[in-house]
This record gives sequence, C-alpha cells and structure tokens, in this order.
Amino acid sequence: MASVSVQDVSRNDLPWLVEWRQDKCVLCGMCAAVCTADAICFTASRGGVRGAALRQRAEISHACTGCGMCTKVCQQDAVRPVRNPDNRFPLLARAGGPLKRGGRSNLNPPRTLDKLVVGRISQMTDPALDSERHTFDLRAPLGRVLPVQDLPLRVEGDSLALTAPTPPVRWIYPLLFSDMSIGALSTRAWEAIALACAYLNEQCRLPVRMCSGEGGLPGRLLESEHLKYMIVQIASGHFGWNRILRALPRMKTDPAGVLIKIGQGAKPGDGGLLPAAKVAPHIQSIRGVPRATLHSPANHQGLYSIEEAVQKMHLSCNAAFGFRVPVAIKCAASATSVAVYNNLLRDPYNICGGFFLDGIQGGTGAANEVSLEHTGHPIVSKVRDCYRAALLQGRQGQIPLWAGGGVGQTGHAAADAFKLICLGANGVLVGRLLIQLLGCVGNEHGRCNACNTGRCPAGICTQDMRLVRRLDVDRGAQAIVDYMLAFDAELRKLLAPVGNSSLPVGRADALVATDKAVADALGVTYAC
Amino acid sequence: MVRIKTLDGHRRRSTQELLQTIEAAVLRGDTEFDIEASGQHDIGGPLWNREGKELLFRVRNPGQRVGAMCLPGTTVLVDGPAPADAGWLNSGGRIVIRGDAGDTAGHCAAAGVIQIGGRAGARAGSLMKHDPQYEEPSLWVLRTVGDFSFEFMGGGRAVVCGLGCAPAVSPLGARPCVGMVGGAVYFRGEADDLPEDVLLSAPDDNDMSWLKAGLANFLASVGHPDLLPELSDRRQWNKITPVPFEQRKRAPVMDMGTFRRNAWVPGGIFGDVLEDDGRVTELAAPGDERLRVPVWNGESCRDCRLCLKSCPRKAIVRTDGEKGVYSAACARCVGCGLCAGLCPCGAWRMTEIASV
Repeated sequence: MASVSVQDVSRNDLPWLVEWRQDKCVLCGMCAAVCTADAICFTASRGGVRGAALRQRAEISHACTGCGMCTKVCQQDAVRPVRNPDNRFPLLARAGGPLKRGGRSNLNPPRTLDKLVVGRISQMTDPALDSERHTFDLRAPLGRVLPVQDLPLRVEGDSLALTAPTPPVRWIYPLLFSDMSIGALSTRAWEAIALACAYLNEQCRLPVRMCSGEGGLPGRLLESEHLKYMIVQIASGHFGWNRILRALPRMKTDPAGVLIKIGQGAKPGDGGLLPAAKVAPHIQSIRGVPRATLHSPANHQGLYSIEEAVQKMHLSCNAAFGFRVPVAIKCAASATSVAVYNNLLRDPYNICGGFFLDGIQGGTGAANEVSLEHTGHPIVSKVRDCYRAALLQGRQGQIPLWAGGGVGQTGHAAADAFKLICLGANGVLVGRLLIQLLGCVGNEHGRCNACNTGRCPAGICTQDMRLVRRLDVDRGAQAIVDYMLAFDAELRKLLAPVGNSSLPVGRADALVATDKAVADALGVTYAC
Repeated sequence: MVRIKTLDGHRRRSTQELLQTIEAAVLRGDTEFDIEASGQHDIGGPLWNREGKELLFRVRNPGQRVGAMCLPGTTVLVDGPAPADAGWLNSGGRIVIRGDAGDTAGHCAAAGVIQIGGRAGARAGSLMKHDPQYEEPSLWVLRTVGDFSFEFMGGGRAVVCGLGCAPAVSPLGARPCVGMVGGAVYFRGEADDLPEDVLLSAPDDNDMSWLKAGLANFLASVGHPDLLPELSDRRQWNKITPVPFEQRKRAPVMDMGTFRRNAWVPGGIFGDVLEDDGRVTELAAPGDERLRVPVWNGESCRDCRLCLKSCPRKAIVRTDGEKGVYSAACARCVGCGLCAGLCPCGAWRMTEIASV
C-alpha cells in the first residue's frame, strides 16, 4: 500500500470529480484520449484486463476542468464530470503563484438586467408595431454625431451645402462582435467569426462589424474588401500594427473604425496577457515577437493624462486613415467613467467617435483570477450614469455609447441589448457569446475556463493544431449567423410592443424595475 | 323612400339615434333611405330586409365607417366624400363613394364591392380577405391611395386607376403591400418600395377581361363613364400578387461552405502564415492528432501480452523475437493510455507530444 499523508492532494480537493460507472464502461479509452487536461488515466485494480479501472489524477496541474469532452465521446454514458462543492482548489492551486484562467467572473451576483422588464407596452395609448412586417431602423452610430446647430451647412439655392468636413459616422448594427485577438483565439475561431460577420453583411443585410482585438489582422484580410467590416484595435501592446500600416498602400477599402483599447471589463487596470503556450509561430510573426508570455502594459505608454489620451491617440488614429474612419475608445467601466465621458464630450475638436464601456462580467482569454473576480464595475448603472451625464448637458447621442460585459450571459442577448439601449447605450458588444456559439463549453460557474492554458478542448482558445482541427469553421460561423438572425427577430419583438421603429436609445420609460434599489439607481419606475 | 335629416336647428341627432331610427324603419319594411347625415358613424350596415328585398341608402356627409359591416343586398351611395374606414369589414354590400375616401377604406373587407370615385387614404384595402364560401371582395379607387396601402392583404382584388397621379409618384403611396399574403392589386403607373415577398407582373387575359367589365360598372357608378377608353389601355396596367407561401424563403439560402469558397478571401485569411487544409478531426483522433502517445521500454517488459489484450483499438503490435518487441501502430492508436495504465511492469509510459 502506498503511504498517504494528510497533506497530499486528493481528488476530493479538486473542483471537479470524474464520476465513473464501472458497470457501464466498456474500456474503450476514448474519455482519456480526448481529455486535454490529461485528468483521466487507467489503473489495474486487479490483474487482467477486467481489472482495469478509470482513475482521476489527483494533481493540481491535471485537475479536471469540467469541460465534459469525456461525456461527449462516451457511447456508454459511463463517465461525467461532477462539480465538487467541497474542493480546496483555490487554496492549493496558488502554490505556483496567482491563479490565472480565462472566462468571466464566476461570482455571479444577481444580474441587474434580469431585474428590468420591458413594462411600458403600447396598449391603446399608441399603436404597437408589427414585429414581423414593420420596417425597423436597427442601426447605431459609430462616429462623432454633430448636433444640428453645429453642422457646417450653408444654403445654396434650393439645397444645403457643407462648408467644412464633418466627422465620419458609420451607421452599423447595434451588436458588435467584440475584440478577441488573433492569438487569444485560434486562427479557425477568429476566421469563423470574421466569416460570419461577412456572411451577415452580404447574405443577410445585417451591417454587423467585428473588432479585431489586439493581435493585428491577417494580411490577406487587410488587403481584401472585407476589411470594411472590421474595426481595427490598437491597445497598449500595439501588436500587429506594423503589418496594418505596411498594408495601407494596398488596402482596397477603409476599415469600419479604429478602437483604442484602454482597458477591458474582465481585468480593468491590467493589460492584455497571452501565455507563451499560445504564442505559436504564426502568432509570433503577426505580432512580431518571439515565443514568450506576452504582457501588454496596463497603460498606453506615452499617454500620461486624459487630455493626451483624447488628443494624441485619437489624432494619430484618425490621421492614419485620412480622417475618414471613426475612432472610438474602449475603457473598462469604472467609478470614474462619467468623468472620462464628460471629458470626451467637451473635446472641441470632435475627434472621439464612440465611448465603449466594458463591464465586470466581460470575458477574457487570460487573466489573474483576483482581477477577474474582484475588480471592475457592473455595466448597467455606468451606462445609465454616462447617458444621464450627457443628457444633462444636452449632449446625448453625440458620442455613441457602446456597452459590453456580460451581454448574452444567460443566452438572451436581445433582451440584454434592448434593456441597455433603453438605458442609454447606442449598441452592445458581445465576445464570449460568440465563442460559446462556436462550441466553447465554458461558463460562469467554473466550467472549463481553460482559455489561458493553450489546451482549449474546443479548438477555440488554443494554437495547438491538434485541437484547432476539432473546430469546423463553417459550422461555427453558421451557428453565429443563426443566433444573430434570431437576435435580430427578437430585437424587433421588443421594439414592436413599445412602439419604436428605431432603437429606443435612452427610453428608460420603456422599462420597469422589479427591484426598488435598481429602480432608484437607474431612474426607472419600480413595479411589483 | 325614407328621408332623414339629422340636423334640427342646432340639435344634431347622435349616431345612436340615427341608427336606431334606420333600424326601426328597416324592420317596418322600408327599403330606400335618403339621409342628410352630419358625421354619424356606421350608416348602412349591417342591415337586412326580412323578405330579402334590396336596401338602398343615399347618404351625404357621412361620418366614419359608412357601409361598415355591410351585408349582401345593401347598396350605399355616398354623394361626395367619406371619412375613414368606408366599407370597413364589408361582408357583401355595394358601397359607392363619389368623392374621396379617408384612411383605411375597405379595411378588412371580405366580400362585396367598394367603389371610390376619388382618392383613398393611408392603409386602403389593408387586411382585405376572401372567404372561399362567398364571392371575393373588390375595392376600386379612381385616383390614388395613401401610404401603407394593402398592408397584410389576404384576398380579394383591388384596383387603383392612378388617375391624375403625378409622374414618378407611386399611385400606391409609400410601402404598399407589406405583409401581403393573398389577393391581387391592379394599378396604373409605377409603384416603388415594394416588399420582396410580392411579385410585379403584367395582367393576363383573364385579369383584363375582369378589369374591363368591372371598370365599366365602376366608372358608371362614380359618374365618369367617359374615362373608360383612357383606362382600358392594357399596357398601362400592372398587377401585384404575393409570392406564394410555398415559394417564400425565410432564411438566407447560401450555405456557409459555399459562401466561404466563393465570397471569402481565397484560401482563407491565414493561408499565408499557417498551413491549414481545413480538415476537421474527430475528438479522439489517431496518429499525429494524439495528445499523448504510448512509449514502450523493452527492459521492463516481461512479455505478458496484457497490453495486446487490453488495447481497445487493437493498435499494439508484438513482433516475435527472443522476447516480444512491442509498438503502438499510430494509424490506430488514439493515445488513451490503457496500455500504460494496465501494464504490470511499467513498460508502457504515456508521453505528451509537444503542441505543434
């Protein structure tokens, strides 16, 4: 008998237990073969083949993540991961330093959005609309929208003429494919999302845009017409921008926009993180770095004040594309967001084309768990605060507000989007939802979340081609398209009963809150 | 002939008073009415003579819903214009309006004939339908109709002659025929803004003979028989019918693979930095796709052959020699590790292959 001491790690210390049904198992071995965590092995409990038994490794480094690939391949229903509420993982797993993982916060406080209901229905007061057949204008601005009195117009005969250039504005779909970088995602996953985006534009007439993330863009995309669907991101690491700039002379079209990333909701105040396990040769070449764990700085180096951030960074990005492309900025939602928004609104040069706010429920490919769980700001009240701040100055709608971080977390993205729009957002961002549609099995209850390990069982957050080949690009893109078409229909189903033909930006009167505190904080009617 | 005035000095009869007066007269057997109305609603229906005689209402200055819910055997003649909802839910009557009609004329008409000698307002003919147990309804408009005309139309025929319509202006208003699922709309002129699920065509011979017969009756009713030659030019007529339900396509039809091959960047956007033939592997794949491979160490092996028996893929090969030499055939082995787990001597060991 092997000796066991009380301080040895046992399987009962791990967050997931692999439950094995010996009476059903035929020892086909598939469960162990597919396990990317290498959590399953076999032992001989007695002599001979019939003595074989499945055993879960009792090692922190091989802890089952609950992804359930074993269950997926088992023809006999003989194996499944079971959540272990008595685990000691958070204590033991920090032996090697701070815990890192991907995914979203797993703390799951009650969602504010679920305490809001579309409660102001057109019933005799005004006509409700026909969601199926009425024509809705479901577009949101990206770009600085000038108020009527500031438009440089002159009457020339029977028409109006512009006397000065106006900031570029793109009217796009109010749901934007949020920034997940090449590197964080596998090539196939990133391409599937880009492909779905093009399909939605060209086959379904939904003008959906995709943000590249901070990992550059592939040269072939930069030089294709499809670039017009892409919002190129520049974050503190500036990864990939060398190739973007060198592609400028060969670009057939402008990108849809530029997004300056200051921070992200999942790990505000922390820079991007790409673990070495994911820095494959093609990532090294696109990013221009050797294989190493890549940290983006927490700050854009060279920006020392908000004024610099607004002027210097926006100016450079505007200038790069001849002032033809809207430039927006993305910040993690924060107690200070309103101050930032006010600063942008007062900029006399009208150079900021959008304020993207990312809330604490946003996802990430890799972060310290302490940041994921304990830093950030819920998105809902912050969008409302920013909108109201603009409203008080009569400047609402001038710098479009885009909200992300947990949109679609419960699978109901259209309702989330609609409520955020009623509270003042012009549009919403989704990221995690997209990879879940591709096949990611991770969730906000500690399942999988192995995005940082390079061992994504779905081939989405990995550069290991053995795993990447598990992902079918066409099927993945199709799943995103299908969801988006349902999203579009559902958004109409919400617009119709409140009687709006266009997006009800800031129409908080369309909502009621079933929680008094939420009602008070957001300035909507309390209903019970 | 019953003559009814609805104004007595400054006193106006309410709709209820007027309709109850009419109903009592119809019950007494009166069949002809001449009504000097002052905006009373719902004049003309639903009424019937107990002996099946025809009812005739001559009306001036009616309120909304003149001829509403009208039954077969009733004729309503309005000398002049009529406000909204003329012929609403018409179920078989003949309603003639010599002047303009307001919004939603003919709304939900399911039988009978409505003839309008001027324009009709927004949502004219919306939700018209045809109950196959009865004759189909028709709606005739001499001039033009307002926006959202024939919305959700489900049956019957509508005719918009487009008389006096300015060039390059649609006689059907903005966004006609949205949600149309049945029936037909004939019109002269150019319609724009038509939804995708309707078809624009030229009327065929059957359409034209129906149109010509109806036009003669219509123009006579509204007092413009002289216009018949002008409106009989077949080349000026168009017809709108809905795309049949069976032929409607809800979802986009191009499958993603076809789109990727034809409309996407050839060879994929990463084709120049990464070799990827697009092959999709099973979750448990053999060969180079294995996450871990078994490695055999001959020194520990006691040649018990348990691995041969336990391998679920029959991937282990034993070559005879002084002592057996073992290997795992990579074409079959998926790297499950049963051999390593069961080997009593520790001769098999699973090795992680570094990621590519």
